[in-house]
Amino acid sequence: MTITIETQTDQPLLELKDLRTHFHTFAGVVKAVNGVSFKIGAGEIMGLVGESGGGKSVVGFSILGLIESPGKIEGGEILFDGEDLAKASDERLREIRGRDISMVFQDPMTSLNPLHTVGDQMDEVLRLHSNLDADARKQACIKMLESVGISQAEERLKAYPHQFSGGMRQRVVIAIAMLAQPRLIIADEPTTALDVTIQSQILKLMRQQIADNGASMILVTHDLAVVSEMADHITVLYCGQVVEQGKTRDIIESPSHPYTRGLIDSIPDPTDRMARLNQIPGNVPDIRNLPKGCNFRARCPRAQDLCAEQEPTLKPQHNSLVSACHFPLQPGEK
Amino acid sequence: MSNTPMLEVRDLKMRFPIGGGLLDRMRLDKKGFRIENPVVQAINGVSFKIEPGEVMALVGESGCGKSTVAKTIARIYSPTGGDILIDGENISDYGFSEMLPVRAKMQMIFQDPFASLNPRQKVRDIVAEPLLEQTKDAKSQKDIPAEIEALLAKVGLNSEHAGRYPHQFSGGQRQRIGIARALSVRPGLIIADEPVSALDVSIQAQILNLMMDLRDEFGLAYLFISHDLSVVHHIADRVGVMYLGFMVENAPRDQLFSKPKHPYTRALLSAAPSIKPTRDKEEIELTGEVPSALNLPSGCCFRTRCPFAWDRCAKERPVLKDVGDGQSVACHLTDEPEREVA
Amino acid sequence: MTRFFASEFFFNYTRNWSAIIGSALMFAFAFAVLVGPFLVAQNPYDIASLDLMDSYKPPMWLEGGDPRFPFGTDGQGRDVWASILYGARISLFIGLAAMCASCFIGTFLGLVAGFYGGILDSIIMRIADIQLSFPSILIALFLMSAVGTGIDKVLIALTAVGWVVYARTVRGSTLSEKQKEYVQAAKVAGLPNHKIIRKHILPNVLTPLIVIATIQVGTFVLIEASLSFLGVGVPITQPSLGLLIKNGFDVLFSGLWWTSVFPGLAIMMLVFGINLFGDFLRDELNPRLK
Repeated sequence: MTITIETQTDQPLLELKDLRTHFHTFAGVVKAVNGVSFKIGAGEIMGLVGESGGGKSVVGFSILGLIESPGKIEGGEILFDGEDLAKASDERLREIRGRDISMVFQDPMTSLNPLHTVGDQMDEVLRLHSNLDADARKQACIKMLESVGISQAEERLKAYPHQFSGGMRQRVVIAIAMLAQPRLIIADEPTTALDVTIQSQILKLMRQQIADNGASMILVTHDLAVVSEMADHITVLYCGQVVEQGKTRDIIESPSHPYTRGLIDSIPDPTDRMARLNQIPGNVPDIRNLPKGCNFRARCPRAQDLCAEQEPTLKPQHNSLVSACHFPLQPGEK
Repeated sequence: MSNTPMLEVRDLKMRFPIGGGLLDRMRLDKKGFRIENPVVQAINGVSFKIEPGEVMALVGESGCGKSTVAKTIARIYSPTGGDILIDGENISDYGFSEMLPVRAKMQMIFQDPFASLNPRQKVRDIVAEPLLEQTKDAKSQKDIPAEIEALLAKVGLNSEHAGRYPHQFSGGQRQRIGIARALSVRPGLIIADEPVSALDVSIQAQILNLMMDLRDEFGLAYLFISHDLSVVHHIADRVGVMYLGFMVENAPRDQLFSKPKHPYTRALLSAAPSIKPTRDKEEIELTGEVPSALNLPSGCCFRTRCPFAWDRCAKERPVLKDVGDGQSVACHLTDEPEREVA
Repeated sequence: MTRFFASEFFFNYTRNWSAIIGSALMFAFAFAVLVGPFLVAQNPYDIASLDLMDSYKPPMWLEGGDPRFPFGTDGQGRDVWASILYGARISLFIGLAAMCASCFIGTFLGLVAGFYGGILDSIIMRIADIQLSFPSILIALFLMSAVGTGIDKVLIALTAVGWVVYARTVRGSTLSEKQKEYVQAAKVAGLPNHKIIRKHILPNVLTPLIVIATIQVGTFVLIEASLSFLGVGVPITQPSLGLLIKNGFDVLFSGLWWTSVFPGLAIMMLVFGINLFGDFLRDELNPRLK
């Protein structure tokens, strides 16, 4: 279960080994993340893709140690620069959060405190994670705001979040996330709440910030199109498990897992208009009560008897791909 | 009948005053005059037609007024100005009882599969609701349960589902329930307000396919509101692009996607992320954000973000002009195309 | 019923001590009020059954106590225990009835204000504001001076103050429910407003009222007690727990403490039980804490 794709660097910045995060609710155990492994090298962008209920956001929260009761990290390792965050103390995690790893959430309104000015919130990050004096901190904040494309930065420091528009707010969130020059950014659906023209601005900004600071990023999203434009590698999750991993081009052009194929085909393609979309039939199964064998079996056009009996494990496929399927697609196969 | 459009909208206007409390209305300025409440200019004169069986899409970013257009046509709001003709009948100032028969011709599908179904009603009662209002005699009311089962089957649910509550269903299934509700009175026009934007992609494809199947079966016309260009490209016959309550371009689908004329349409197309980024895209990048609908810019509403804007755009508001092939554009560039090169 | 015992609500209930204690107290009072009067030998309001010879007997465990009167007697020889059982009846009746009336009126006005908005909303909510600035004691005093005392006047005084909290809560939830798409869907379906309110909005604004109603019964019992204590509450012929305290209060400092202390303890336990259970309901029914 610990096969992961090889990246260029020998020592990955972050390595997840068989991470399992479960939620113990009244109605049963929700295995939101159930054996997820991947590696990210320095400067890489990893796209974490899946539908709602796939567990992709929980992976991000687990890395940051933000899982709260009734959730619990049940097992596995989160190796950040060789250190296992799954076993780290709360104090150590607080130290790492914001300085080494930062997060950008979907809704900028909830990740900014409406009662404090943007300047105060930026300053706080630097106060916690740097030794700069007040003046140097202010200069750093101004520089950061300018670099995310906010003009009149010095005045804007005194503004409250509600005085910014949605796109501007997300720029502020990104500025705060980048302030302490973290080595890893976890972006959870960072542009889902934004309009397309703003989305393209923000994506461009994030790509540039990542490149300028040499940081890595986990981009959690449901939008394959966004991932395909941003990420170097893609990990596809289904029911809390990795079903496929590989280089972005390889996955988009010729996936080996039928679920990935289905996801790609579900997106209407403007260059090739079909009468009907290739839909994935059925619904995501109840995660508290998963079927035996392959979780995707009931919706899979290639399912056979074996899929009902034995759970597939991650195996190397063509090109850079690794996928969990008994009957994987070959290159070019539809 | 053949010449009557299913829906025609002429110069539709919608304004929302902000702040309606007693005290708000009594604010005075220094000279003692009453201060007018600020007004959101949500729709500023929108016109279009939908033929029977046609799918017209309205696209645009949040705040462009596309949902307000949908809800005003459905008469959830009363329009401030302009005409709405359903099957040739002007309903823009109809009262409640006059609207009732019109509601059998026009129904609506909503965006949020969770908020659009009453959590305290069973599926059977949700789906039957429009039909019950239309059937007043007891004899036809007896047929409703059978009708509901047939409807549920049509949208891919079964009779066992009829006795359940909405929270027992997934997002996609709830949207099917919403579609069955809209279909129950056999309307000719369905207004779909972002019907798939809250759904996962794999489910989105199911619902889009279902909507197209139903169109073929019942000859439905759709007014399809969406912000997602790839979805619009898939489903629409004709596309209207809205910006700040104005229609800036209206064209047949292929025309719009292959030869977009308005700078905003072009920017939208170039900003949309695509799974095949190799496709050569025109790069029009917009700077800044949408101005407030409380305080529209003079002249062309798009000029504050338009890379081609010049002084005429601030003085004169462009109107939709036919540029041939059923395409119309509201942009001064159509008069002075040489400006674009410069 | 089996579904109830298998539900998350019941599961949490069995793990919440304050909820269990609260509901136990509530059930004990309900039981005492329903069958209690049949268990005591004396009807404290039947003059014939009273004996002045029994007056001011201390509780049975003190010197001079009488096992017939476990908590002692008052100046007329009335059994304090029997008086509490009869008095709790009146107190609870007033609390429940005033709560029902407040809930009904407040919900109705809240629905109207929230759904129709505009002038109607402004008028109703301003009346609510004015109402809140008059304490119920003032209203009771006014009513008493105008039309005399009586349980009905107490009910009016309590309801006049009590409806406001429902109206405000319901108005708030109505405003947010009204924006929801299922209400718009009902409009598109052609439902008239009164049907939309009844079928769609009302069922969805009721949940928070359960908590308010529960806690309000306790509050009303207390307010009624203070009204009666001040002499503007129930008439002397129908003494509630509050009136019992008042009657005992006159002789409290002569060392005859039991005539008011035991009714006071009864009120305390009743209100305490209601509040404990109400807090549990609030935690359970509030979706934001989930």
